[in-house]
Amino acid sequence: MSSSTTDVTMPQMGVSVTEGTVIAWAKQPGDEVQADETICEISTDKIDTDLPAPAAGTLAEILVPVGQTVPVGTTLARIENADRAGGAIGDASAAPGAEAPRSTTGPARSHARLSPVVQRIAQEHNIDATQVRGTGRGGRVRKQDVLAQIERRPDTLSRIRRTIGEHMKRSLDTAATCTTWMEADMTRVEASRKTRGLTALPIVARCTIDALRELPALNATLDGERYERSEDVNLGIAVSLGEDGLIVPVIHRAQELSAEGLATRIKELARRARANDLNPDDVRGGTFTITNPGQFGSLMATPIINQPQVAILDLEAIVKRPVVVTGDDGQDMIAIRPQTILGLSWDHRALDGALAAQFLAAVRRRIEAWHG
Amino acid sequence: MSELTYLQAISDGLRDEMRADERVFVLGEDVGVFGGAFKVTDGMVEEFGAGRVMDTPLAEAGIIGAAVGAAVVGLRPVCEMQFADFIACGFDQLVNVAGKMHYRQGLAVPMVVRLPSGGGFSGGPFHSQNPEAWFMHAPGLKVVAPSTPEDAKGLLIAAIRDPNPVVYLEHKKLYRSIKGEVPDGTYETPMTARTAREGTDLTVIAYGAMVHVALEATQDLDASVEVLDLRSLVPLDEHAILTSVAKTSKVLVLDEANQTCAAGAQVAALIAEHAFEDLDGPVRRIATPDIPIPFSPSLEQAVLPSVERVREACRELLDY
Repeated sequence: MSSSTTDVTMPQMGVSVTEGTVIAWAKQPGDEVQADETICEISTDKIDTDLPAPAAGTLAEILVPVGQTVPVGTTLARIENADRAGGAIGDASAAPGAEAPRSTTGPARSHARLSPVVQRIAQEHNIDATQVRGTGRGGRVRKQDVLAQIERRPDTLSRIRRTIGEHMKRSLDTAATCTTWMEADMTRVEASRKTRGLTALPIVARCTIDALRELPALNATLDGERYERSEDVNLGIAVSLGEDGLIVPVIHRAQELSAEGLATRIKELARRARANDLNPDDVRGGTFTITNPGQFGSLMATPIINQPQVAILDLEAIVKRPVVVTGDDGQDMIAIRPQTILGLSWDHRALDGALAAQFLAAVRRRIEAWHG
Repeated sequence: MSELTYLQAISDGLRDEMRADERVFVLGEDVGVFGGAFKVTDGMVEEFGAGRVMDTPLAEAGIIGAAVGAAVVGLRPVCEMQFADFIACGFDQLVNVAGKMHYRQGLAVPMVVRLPSGGGFSGGPFHSQNPEAWFMHAPGLKVVAPSTPEDAKGLLIAAIRDPNPVVYLEHKKLYRSIKGEVPDGTYETPMTARTAREGTDLTVIAYGAMVHVALEATQDLDASVEVLDLRSLVPLDEHAILTSVAKTSKVLVLDEANQTCAAGAQVAALIAEHAFEDLDGPVRRIATPDIPIPFSPSLEQAVLPSVERVREACRELLDY
């Protein structure tokens, strides 16, 4: 049986091409293939193309997995020729799966003979070791081959990235998200925070809390059709964990805290978040969220609502700008003022644009009148 | 620190420990006035007197038997076998009396039997053997085999201080061919394995003179080869062996002793049983075939594990 096979090799696609990458296999081991039928897709730095089967028969084994780049001439797969294929197809249909054709051929077996350590590593990393190209004696798959394969494999997302991704997609799929922007003059906030040794965030947070007390429709959750306003302002603060993602610890009963008190809580929660030291209660029960990525200079964003809340406030960079102000004598003039753009993403299912604008205006009013 | 040969390091350890502990004494054939067949005890009778450096008749059973009695009553005897091969004559005293004394009577037997062992110098079948496996197989005995001057001194002192009978194998070929820095004063080398060279692709496990064969055979290979020096065969440092195999996944085990049931066979069995899922190739062994050691230099070189054979086996394993 072993003599009647045809190798499928990486073709020469132009004179300067020395290697190619398998993008996808159109056939799997055990599948019947016709001569010139597409067996896989390959890619070079110049073109992507379908690779036709060089002979009819049954695909006996795949030697180069998807994503692997190999030199021109490398055997990609073996086809058991048509004149012998009847029996092999019969075997495959009797016992479906990749095991069947392998167990019927002599040379394929030698590739399938895996050492204990190769089997263990492959299993731990969820790799099909029979698809790894072996560099050992007679093409045996060695430990270093399977380790190299793992290294080449693109990184899978970390658990926290997957979780963030799921939450963000679910929010966009769930909420009717709109974003409204409003400029605010930060002159008083800037002056105040400098004398008190604070950042702008806790002051804006304090103004936001007061605005939420004024317009409690935004201090709420919407879960399906269940819309619930909250007495307390449980304020979520987005904390960046660098490459490890983002987490939103919650300051419960934030309405009871001054700007200084908020500053202390924000600092403590951020420290614990980065030390991976938050407990489940620290991230539960939020009714509104503030995100503050402006330290890198970004001016506007469209934040995604932290479900099941109904709105999120985005504080971006504070930038000095020439603005028209009206003096006490009623005369307009151009002044240099620290400005920021407040962005509010809100859920159109729970409220309408007028209320969102009213809320932003309430925050702005407090920011611009800030004294303390 | 002083630079000493392997033989000087053994003498140094014995002398320092005799100075430190007056219970320690030496007995054996020609160890006194003659200073020992290999001069390990040279000058000791002058320093410590004939009462602590005792010449005995040619009777290994008597030497070991006397040592057992002395150890039981609280002394620390160090017996010298003139050649390791001759210990066969004292087998019963060592294996049945010393080895089982604690089990039967609850008595400690803190004694050492020094075995000048190994071949490679045309000593023939009676003067070239490596009998360590006989004693690994006998419960109640410890078996150590240093490969460097520093360990030769430290393991001898550790053996003297150990409450069990210890078989101490000193390889004759290393006596004057190996030199190294040796700490002054008394110190103990632990009865655990030593990583003679770190590596990631293959582990060569050896002890005694074979450590040097392993190092030489693998120094020019285009691979990162770890060399593990067992130092002690009983107790066997299973943790060090399994840790190294987990790292490299390929193993070559060397013995200068005859192949069947050699120390390396025990090591190979340990790996097969406890490191199966770490292996990326067969556990290979190289040892002396199961024949007496020939007198003829060329025949002797043909049977002892050579640098070339070890290098070839390493290449095969690395390519596997």
